[in-house]
Amino acid sequence: MNRKSDILVVGSGLAGMTAALTAAASGKSVTLLCYGAGSLSISSDCIDVLGYFGGERTKEPFTVMERLPEEHPYRKIGTQAVKTALEWFEKFCAGAGLDLHKPAEGEGNHELITVMGTTKPSWLCPDSHDAACIRDAKHIAVFTVENMKDVHPRLIIDQLKHYPFLADKDFQGFTLPCPIKDARRNITPLDIARYVDKPDGLRWLHENLEAFAGKFDVFLLPPICGMELAQNVWKKLSTELNVRIVEMISIPPAVSGLRLYDVLRKSLNQKGVYLAENVQILSADVEQGKCRALYSEEGQRWEADEFVIATGGLLSGGISTEPGKAWESIFHIPLNVPADIEAWSSPDIFGSSLFARMGVSVGGDLRPLDEGGAILLKNVRFAGRVLGGYDFALEKSGHGVALATGWLAGTLAGKE
Amino acid sequence: MKHRNPDKCVACSTCVVQCPVAEVTSKFLGPRMTGPASERFRLLNAGEDESLSYCANCKNCNISCPQGVDVANINMLARTRYSREHRPSFRDWILAHGELEADLVRFFPSSLVNFGMVNPLTKFVLDAIGISKKADLPTFARDQFPALFKSYRQPTLHKKVVFFPGCYIKAYAPETGIDLVWLLNRAGYNVIYPENFCCCGTPLYTNGFEKDARKNAAVNLLELKKWREEGIPVLSLCPSCQLMFRSEIPIYFPELAEELDGKTALDDAQEFILSCIEKGELPLAGAEQNKLDVMYHAPCHLRAQGIGMPGLELLKKLPGVHAVNADAGCCGISGSYGFKKEKYDIGMAVGSQLFRTIKDSGIEQVATDCGTCRVQIMHGTGHPVAHPLNILRRRLDTTRR
Repeated sequence: MNRKSDILVVGSGLAGMTAALTAAASGKSVTLLCYGAGSLSISSDCIDVLGYFGGERTKEPFTVMERLPEEHPYRKIGTQAVKTALEWFEKFCAGAGLDLHKPAEGEGNHELITVMGTTKPSWLCPDSHDAACIRDAKHIAVFTVENMKDVHPRLIIDQLKHYPFLADKDFQGFTLPCPIKDARRNITPLDIARYVDKPDGLRWLHENLEAFAGKFDVFLLPPICGMELAQNVWKKLSTELNVRIVEMISIPPAVSGLRLYDVLRKSLNQKGVYLAENVQILSADVEQGKCRALYSEEGQRWEADEFVIATGGLLSGGISTEPGKAWESIFHIPLNVPADIEAWSSPDIFGSSLFARMGVSVGGDLRPLDEGGAILLKNVRFAGRVLGGYDFALEKSGHGVALATGWLAGTLAGKE
Repeated sequence: MKHRNPDKCVACSTCVVQCPVAEVTSKFLGPRMTGPASERFRLLNAGEDESLSYCANCKNCNISCPQGVDVANINMLARTRYSREHRPSFRDWILAHGELEADLVRFFPSSLVNFGMVNPLTKFVLDAIGISKKADLPTFARDQFPALFKSYRQPTLHKKVVFFPGCYIKAYAPETGIDLVWLLNRAGYNVIYPENFCCCGTPLYTNGFEKDARKNAAVNLLELKKWREEGIPVLSLCPSCQLMFRSEIPIYFPELAEELDGKTALDDAQEFILSCIEKGELPLAGAEQNKLDVMYHAPCHLRAQGIGMPGLELLKKLPGVHAVNADAGCCGISGSYGFKKEKYDIGMAVGSQLFRTIKDSGIEQVATDCGTCRVQIMHGTGHPVAHPLNILRRRLDTTRR
């Protein structure tokens, strides 16, 4: 069966969904092909732009951006494009009932608190994750819920105390009683967040936190302040209990990424984007440097005028490898990797890894380039982790690159 | 029976987040734990956890998995292995063998049979064996598909297609099958319905009746092979039947699938109609033009197939029809799951988001491709629910205005 749309986006992570949304704003017909739900739904809704530069923590991503290596996606598309994409995203989220904000003027990256007791640099975050208030706080209560997986106040406090600016704080850990009775599995923050979306759940959280109000300056909570209603729940509780509430960033399922995923998916549907799920793209029909259609595992032919490929990296299937060789999975674009497999690994476990960096080389308009710098495919743009030249894990730039390149790829595809 | 390799799972928890059952009940360990994680213990012959029965086999784990792990299939294989040593209940036998029951009741007037099903006494008895008295069971059609088809006069046409109706259309919604025949005739195709075709086996397999499911698969594949060799496409309208043929038979009964070189998929009847429209065989000019708002629900077993939403595309092609996708998750019925006494409330909680989306939309007419989704949505909302082909025919057939 042959399907035709103006623009075809492949990949349902943050990059793909952003590309589909911005492409749809052009009024053209957009199809989004998904294979798996993308990593956003288990991640957070914070947008890290650049947390580390040259191995050092940085406060000002935009000041150092121009000094990144030339092959970095931010350098390819330019600082201005990154800024415009972030502004667009802030506005989009606000319109969808999810306020994300950048750090106050002159403050530099947000320092978010994680359930591992570490701080994490990020650029955009919702009010509930903003931990700036912790600097002036003296007494801080750290909460978990009985039977909750992966959130342990003693570990969090021990770790946080390693940071000089937190060493003198009065931290105290508490366990709230579990509201889910007879659970046959460990409770996660997501279970509680979903419960808190209901009136009973909100009442439970309010009643259990009330006893601590007035005794602490800040409450550090797992991300449990609701799902769809999270923003209202957080505001309501903060106001009624008259305390600063900070949701810690959790490990998967990290809750707030699912909040953003739901917002994006709803918006895609409202904008009329046609969503086809469980579609694994295996090959492409390319003629004279122009892609005509993509073929799925089921033998479907997905035709379009413009294509955005946001299929992710090695783990998501966007990149394929065998010893000494790596290539982009759909178009079989060879990636620049050393033939000697020994050179692929790094003895430094927390250092930069080729597996995280390898990816498609593109021009400023995100179209793929060959080794000589000539455009390989006229109507195909790449966005997100399938791009090469950056190490999202080391730099803390994953969502930032996904968002900025997704926004640009979708916008440019819409203009063709 | 081979175990599925659980090691493709990287334990990322995407399926846990997207599982509609885990969302509403903590009785279910969740797809990751019940599927790939437990599979490692099953390889060591460790005992089975009762939480396995809570998997609804809706396939949202398969759909959401970024690594291509077929979590729900791992669960169903485990359930089958378990059922070999622990006989499924009488209730599960009843729910699994709907086709046999339909065969028995067709000799009685449907009004009598349906009254027999919905009266308080029957409800009480069904509830006692474990079928929720709160559930609306589908009602038998007055004439089942085989009888209706036999008396239906098709014009003489040379191009041919074969139709696999599945037991839902056969017993409960034969008019949808007839609508397809009408549309195919109009597009120039004569429809063949081989009476050898039987239930695809989905309700049998998911309820633990492996042998019966295998028997059905063998019969169906033999028939399918025959038409394959003649070069005539075999169409189906039921998402769950299609999923069984396309991706489950090769996993559950690989030795049977080999007979067809693993190419066991049926063709999607609505995709076929779409291509008829594209080729100009089924012109839409002359269709009723008046305005109709439709909210479409994509069944999970359709989403799992990776073929998009042909029913929604058809609706969007109709002049005057404004169709929107509900995109509000699973309806909660999962075949026979939501009828079970201990699962009824779970099914309704799963469907609540869809029900709310429909009610809040202000749109009266709902459309979906799956028969049991239809029953569940009507039960949860009270809105009329049609198959997209019902709407297509209604707007094309001038004799029906």
